Amino acid sequence: MSFNIPVPRPRAIDRSRLSYIRLRSVSPPRIPSPVKIDRSKLSYLSAPKALPQPRKINPSHVHYLRPEPSVLEKNILSPETPGNKNFPPFALTPELEEKANQRIAQYPADQKRSAVLPLLHEVQHRFGFISPESIDWVSQKLDLSPIKVVEVVTFYPGFRQKAPGQLHFRVCRTLSCAMGGSYELMAKLCELTGINRSSADAHKDPISVSPCGKYSVEYAECLASCGTAPVCLVNDDFHEGISADKAQDLIAKYNA
Amino acid sequence: MSDITYHPGKEPHPNEHRLIFKNVDRQGWNSTISTYLNEGGYEMLKKSLSMDPKAVIEEVKTSGLRGRGGAGFPTGIKWGFIPPDNKKPVYLICNADESEPGTFKDRYILHQDPHQLIEGMIISAFAVGAHTAYIYIREEFPEAAITLEKAIAEARQNGFLGQNILGSGFDLEIYVHRGAAAYICGEETGLIESLEGKRPYPRIKPPYFPAAMGLYMAPTIVNNVESLCHVVHILRMGGAEYVKLGTPRNSGTRILCVSGDVKKPGYFEVQVGKVTFRELLYDMCGGPKDGREFKAVIPGGSSSKVLRCEESFKIGRGDDAKDLSFWDLPLDFDTLAAAGSMAGSGGVIVMDDSRRMSWILNNITHFYAHESCGQCTPCREGSTWMKKVSDRIEGGSATPDDVKTLEEIAYQIDGKTVCAFGEASAWPVEAMIDKFRDELVSETSENNDFKSAERIEQEKFLSTSF
Repeated sequence: MSFNIPVPRPRAIDRSRLSYIRLRSVSPPRIPSPVKIDRSKLSYLSAPKALPQPRKINPSHVHYLRPEPSVLEKNILSPETPGNKNFPPFALTPELEEKANQRIAQYPADQKRSAVLPLLHEVQHRFGFISPESIDWVSQKLDLSPIKVVEVVTFYPGFRQKAPGQLHFRVCRTLSCAMGGSYELMAKLCELTGINRSSADAHKDPISVSPCGKYSVEYAECLASCGTAPVCLVNDDFHEGISADKAQDLIAKYNA
Repeated sequence: MSDITYHPGKEPHPNEHRLIFKNVDRQGWNSTISTYLNEGGYEMLKKSLSMDPKAVIEEVKTSGLRGRGGAGFPTGIKWGFIPPDNKKPVYLICNADESEPGTFKDRYILHQDPHQLIEGMIISAFAVGAHTAYIYIREEFPEAAITLEKAIAEARQNGFLGQNILGSGFDLEIYVHRGAAAYICGEETGLIESLEGKRPYPRIKPPYFPAAMGLYMAPTIVNNVESLCHVVHILRMGGAEYVKLGTPRNSGTRILCVSGDVKKPGYFEVQVGKVTFRELLYDMCGGPKDGREFKAVIPGGSSSKVLRCEESFKIGRGDDAKDLSFWDLPLDFDTLAAAGSMAGSGGVIVMDDSRRMSWILNNITHFYAHESCGQCTPCREGSTWMKKVSDRIEGGSATPDDVKTLEEIAYQIDGKTVCAFGEASAWPVEAMIDKFRDELVSETSENNDFKSAERIEQEKFLSTSF
């Protein structure tokens, strides 16, 4: 007796199309066989023949071997401006020394640091701006590390880090003066003196100097004369009620 | 060369009551000591030196004098905070760093009447027991610094300064210390840090109350120029007489500085609380410019909250409560505080209907972004963000959401910083949005789509198909 029951044949499956089978069929990564090591070549296994000679390095080629720039070089840029010709380079004079001692005497003997601002004012008054050399001098004079003077110079807008022009205009831009027309005054001053203020930034680069080096402009925050807006300071002189049409006269007054 | 702030012959307005500004702009007045002595100057110094220092403090307490620098704290009480068992030297500092936008009262005292300030300082130093006093004057007053140094030298020649003043055994030296154009130096602890030769990062209170731990960690009294000048007049009139000036709890006179869109801006010394906005702006300042109407007023320097001219306020509590329109508000410390603003330093900035509030707001945020000292994160970052967002609103490229963002930033600065600068920068923004929201929103548009650098990066990332 024989049975001839038809057994259904399994459907032919293209195994390459089945993703789960394909996944299983991924061949395992080949593990590299260990490298044959020539043990005689290993220095730590054999006695050293000779001490290795240190390699000759040119320090200027390696950035971390270059001499560290001082805190002054890193923080005080003092870029050259056309205004530099208006001011003598920093030099210590007996007169400055005497004035400085006078200022230091205003504070208790153990609190010389208080004289940082007055000394910087003395420097700026004579040399137009605060140069790295002058910071060095102030820090030595007061037995401070230079960074303590640098932090003061970089904080206060009253200390200039680059040379202004011979006539430095500080135009008030705060509310009452702005309502009185100080933006127009600034535009007019720039037009009359040929100054380009496009790169000026209130924090990083407030001062713009004219190409001739004679004039410079800067926005100041509230000069405390809001009732006579708009106002401006020209060097140490205060002028009130300077609307844009009076700018010409103001400049002429100084050029006379 | 400069045309400095001296307009002789300008008559005070009849509503004024001049004590401190008695000599300002007076015909024939100058800043020399001989002029001051001719008018009975330094007489109060002689009187006070014969008194007990405690009696001088009592007199100032009786007068109810409130500090004129901005916070309005009673001066006599401040003087009483010096620890009684103190062994360190006491310092007196005159805060002449007048930098609140809208305020220009100290300028005239410093330039025209320096001896009044010096006399007030000597009396105050005697009262608190200070033998060294500093005048912290802002950098923008170079001529005033010279005037003051000259005045101090004159006072020393006359024996009002130095050792054994007028034979009383009291010694005092006053020095002028120039700041360097930083607004934050007007904050008393910031000022002290600056005087110590550091960056003026304000100190946290408590524990650094200047009266206990101030300059060089010694007790220090910091007073505004105007407050110190008032001391002379309190001694002259007597505290009990002085307190009759002004209104209860707001005694004496104060100087209001009006600037902005009025016909005759200027300074007016009035009895505190005796002048309303209507009298000040219409009678004393000549009203709005031709063809214009008043729109808004900042009553106490740019950090106080702006008030709308058509608003009305409920002032007082219980039975005393009354509804006052803006024009009937008296300019005193308590009323303005009840109206949701502050009397501050007396700098009244007036805006008429030609002004766009977004422009005003933008100018103010630029100021605070420039002047934040950078010590506390909410203020340092927030003030710059407020500047950027208000730049967008002013420039017309903002969405209505930006107004909301700006408000959120302001409320996140308010109250979260070491010193009051946080509030000073946030309050004007909060108030401006609160009172002029419709106007600000009307300058924005739904169609504007501002994208920050981060947002552009994010969108680039999200749109990449994988």
